[in-house]
Amino acid sequence: MTGVEPVDEGRGADAPRPSPRPVLGNYGSPLGILVKLVALALLNAIVLWGLTVMADAGEWAFLVFSALALLVIDWVYLSRRRIPGKYLVPGTLFLLVFAVYPVLYTVFISTTNYGTGNNLSQEQAIQQIERQSISATDEATRYSLQILARGNPGGDLAFLLTDPDGERFLGTADELVPLADADVVADGRRETIDGFVPLNAGQAQDRVAEIRSFVVPGPEGEIDNDGFGAAFTKLQRYVYDAATGTMVDTVNDVVLVADGGYFVDDDGRRLLPGWRTNVGLSNYEALLTDPALRGNFIRVFVWTVVFAAASVFFSFSLGLLLALVFNNPTMRGRQLYRSLIIIPYALPSFMTALVWRGMFNQSFGVINRWLDVSLPWLSGQWLPYVSILIVNTWLGYVYMFLVSSGALQSIPDELTEAAKVDGATGPMRFRRITLPLLLVSISPLLIASFAFNFNNFNLIYLLTEGRPSIPGSDAGRTDILITYTYKVAFEQGARADYGFASALAVVIFLIVAAISAVSFRYTKQLEEIR
Amino acid sequence: MRAHRRLLAVAVSFALVGAACGSDDDSTTTPATDPAADTTEAPVEEAPEEEAPEEEAPEEEAPEEEAPEEEEYVPPARGDADLVIWADDTRTPVLAPIAAAFSEEEGVEVVVLEVPFDNIRTSLNTAAPVGEGPDIIIGAHDWLGELVSNGVVLPVDLGATADLYSDVAIEAFSFDGATYGLPYAVENIALIRNTDLVPEAPATFEELEEIALGLVADGTVDIPLAIQQAPGDPFHNYPLFTGAGGYVFGQNPDGSYDPTDLGIDSPGGLEAAEKFGEWAASGLLNSDIDYGVMTSSFGEGRAPFAITGPWALGEFSDVNFVVEPVPSVNGGTPQVFVGVQGFMISSFSENPELATTFLLDFLNSEELQLELFEAGGRPPAMTSAFEQVADDPIIQGFGLAGQQGAPLPAIPEMGAVWGAWTDAYEQVFAGADPTATFEGAAASIRSSIGG
Repeated sequence: MTGVEPVDEGRGADAPRPSPRPVLGNYGSPLGILVKLVALALLNAIVLWGLTVMADAGEWAFLVFSALALLVIDWVYLSRRRIPGKYLVPGTLFLLVFAVYPVLYTVFISTTNYGTGNNLSQEQAIQQIERQSISATDEATRYSLQILARGNPGGDLAFLLTDPDGERFLGTADELVPLADADVVADGRRETIDGFVPLNAGQAQDRVAEIRSFVVPGPEGEIDNDGFGAAFTKLQRYVYDAATGTMVDTVNDVVLVADGGYFVDDDGRRLLPGWRTNVGLSNYEALLTDPALRGNFIRVFVWTVVFAAASVFFSFSLGLLLALVFNNPTMRGRQLYRSLIIIPYALPSFMTALVWRGMFNQSFGVINRWLDVSLPWLSGQWLPYVSILIVNTWLGYVYMFLVSSGALQSIPDELTEAAKVDGATGPMRFRRITLPLLLVSISPLLIASFAFNFNNFNLIYLLTEGRPSIPGSDAGRTDILITYTYKVAFEQGARADYGFASALAVVIFLIVAAISAVSFRYTKQLEEIR
Repeated sequence: MRAHRRLLAVAVSFALVGAACGSDDDSTTTPATDPAADTTEAPVEEAPEEEAPEEEAPEEEAPEEEAPEEEEYVPPARGDADLVIWADDTRTPVLAPIAAAFSEEEGVEVVVLEVPFDNIRTSLNTAAPVGEGPDIIIGAHDWLGELVSNGVVLPVDLGATADLYSDVAIEAFSFDGATYGLPYAVENIALIRNTDLVPEAPATFEELEEIALGLVADGTVDIPLAIQQAPGDPFHNYPLFTGAGGYVFGQNPDGSYDPTDLGIDSPGGLEAAEKFGEWAASGLLNSDIDYGVMTSSFGEGRAPFAITGPWALGEFSDVNFVVEPVPSVNGGTPQVFVGVQGFMISSFSENPELATTFLLDFLNSEELQLELFEAGGRPPAMTSAFEQVADDPIIQGFGLAGQQGAPLPAIPEMGAVWGAWTDAYEQVFAGADPTATFEGAAASIRSSIGG
């Protein structure tokens, strides 16, 4: 949308009206309009195609949202007014899709019991319980099976059964007939009897619906196929009673009722699998009321705040110190030093964290070897905290150095010189003039850095995994909230609890949002001072 | 300037990632790649290392293996095939021709898709219920607790087929009275002894301790016994724990585990815990040894003994060694955890009959068991196939150790055990009172099993 007016004048010749503005908006060149139309057309085509996919998948909420978003985009961009909308709409849509939706979805998950054992919908769980409870009866004879069809592969089905003793039977829908060995003839790799053709797995698969309902009456009950190569009498232990919403154990004659995402019997034993269900606010309740969890949460929270604040403090202090040093124009070789200082920033932090972990190893790490001591850098009571802060300062000071260097250069020399003339000493000039002016521009970055470190999963996870452990607690000494959440959600092996982890994530989100909001208000006040 | 520096950073990170692939833990490289590219990248990344995540029998005890980005792994789409099999990179090439033979002979379409081993488990949980999952997976038996709880695997009636396999393999794939898969390989850890440093097998663990500490004292070696801990490893410590009198869960007569009988704080368990305290104090065990230190120290002849599995042998090519069972500890027989791998059927398979047929009529063959052994080096679970390869002394050594073993518990309660038990070892190695620590760990395990 640049260079609008002069080009418009050129188009004015074709326009019947005196107004120089073209009909489609003040975009100017025909090329600009063309690009806009092609882009919009492409977007419309892609989204419309996407809508058909979503309709197929039954994702109605996404479909409605996408359709509305498309209408809004078309409405805004096909007009020559609504200029603010043209700037705001894309950002707003991305905000909705990539920020608001994940937050709302996390909130939704936090009100469910989603996790191991509660992975399916209730309908699926009922289906699986019934299906998985089908097994051979205790006394069932396990026949090996060849599926036959009378005359041709589409003819009436029959089972050629061989029991473990080698006795042969022909099973039809009506009866089970013993066969003499002579009746059975080979047909390639398979066996059959006169008048029938054997079905291979592909042919059987084509008629699988018929085969599923085909059973042979036998002495122990109906003989049913298991796969296409075996058959025996089956029993379904659990049957769902839709009228009462209960599951009936037909073997022991016990009724199990649905409770909290499981079918449970009178003794509270749960039938697996369970299903996902709404549990209201009980995940939050557990967080607030369970003494073990609450103790963990408070301890982890305190360390998280200390870790984030101390990381910002130390890295900013070191970065600023270096920036002040390198800001001195009389220093020689500044460019070289500056390039070297960038190194921690240029290395990927997950690699450096692992390297530091190796260096801190108590028995085999270089640090203890150089210092000729045996300090438990990552396993002692207090040293792990120190180690983490050392590493994070090392990782973070470069960024602080860069932004401080920039900000220092924007402070006018006259101010410090005037202070000098007034007789202020060096430290005084720094404290009264340089630092306040610096903080005005850097405070938002410090807050952002705090928020980032608050959720600095990579460092903690790669350096200590939250260890050392504390007896009787599932959160380690150096766990921060986000690593504790991860442990709860994914690391407890057979009992991952996504619902509770989501509740923790929501709480973390609220804390970070609150801290950020308050801090930004505070920095606004700082700006007004200026 | 800025763009330039970015480029440099990217170049350096790639160089380092390349270097890291040669070191102990390749899966940590995952975060380096664009998560969106995971679909294509991940299978390749898992490929080259001996210590691919699948080798870690207890998945829970190896947290590094699961960078958070892995949650974004998207399994390959299943397409229109009648049967889809998920297998990892070492087994896909073996299964593909078998699948092709089945397809041709039976007139169906069977497709083998390559999925990184640990993603098979996680992706099955999410993909199966929405109809995107496979029909058959390759997996480890200790996933069963999770997979059965989530209702994503189907029981398989093995019938007389079960007699073809070793008891421990069938026991391992049994869960709550039903069999959930067809086993194909059995693997376990054993004692690896450097024959140049220690020519004679020690008769007891006490003798081993004396020899090992003696070799450290006279400066011949750095590490007496290379067992990966970092910071405490219940899986690799299990033979010592059981030899000294402990057990994890009591076993029912049919071999299944009884979650109400936790043995970590049983009298024998506490006695074993005290032993671990002594071993830590004498320097025999060291909390700082990780997989990398274990392989490098034994592989360079700086450790006379190691306790590890077949997956680490590739690192030991420069030393002469033998594989044998861990000698009796304090008079007790050491038991190792046995991990069993096999094929399972997804309960959301649309063609379960075809899947069952493929499993029992095609995969259930000695020939295939031997082919999979050639490809992966894991001893076959089928008894007749195992006998054909058992004259190899290494296979024999692991086999002997495995005969004294017990299947790694697959019950969901085991999920509550790994973390707390690891923590307990960590605390004992750091000098905490062993009895109190193990009692505390057992209490917290019981409370999380109960609740």
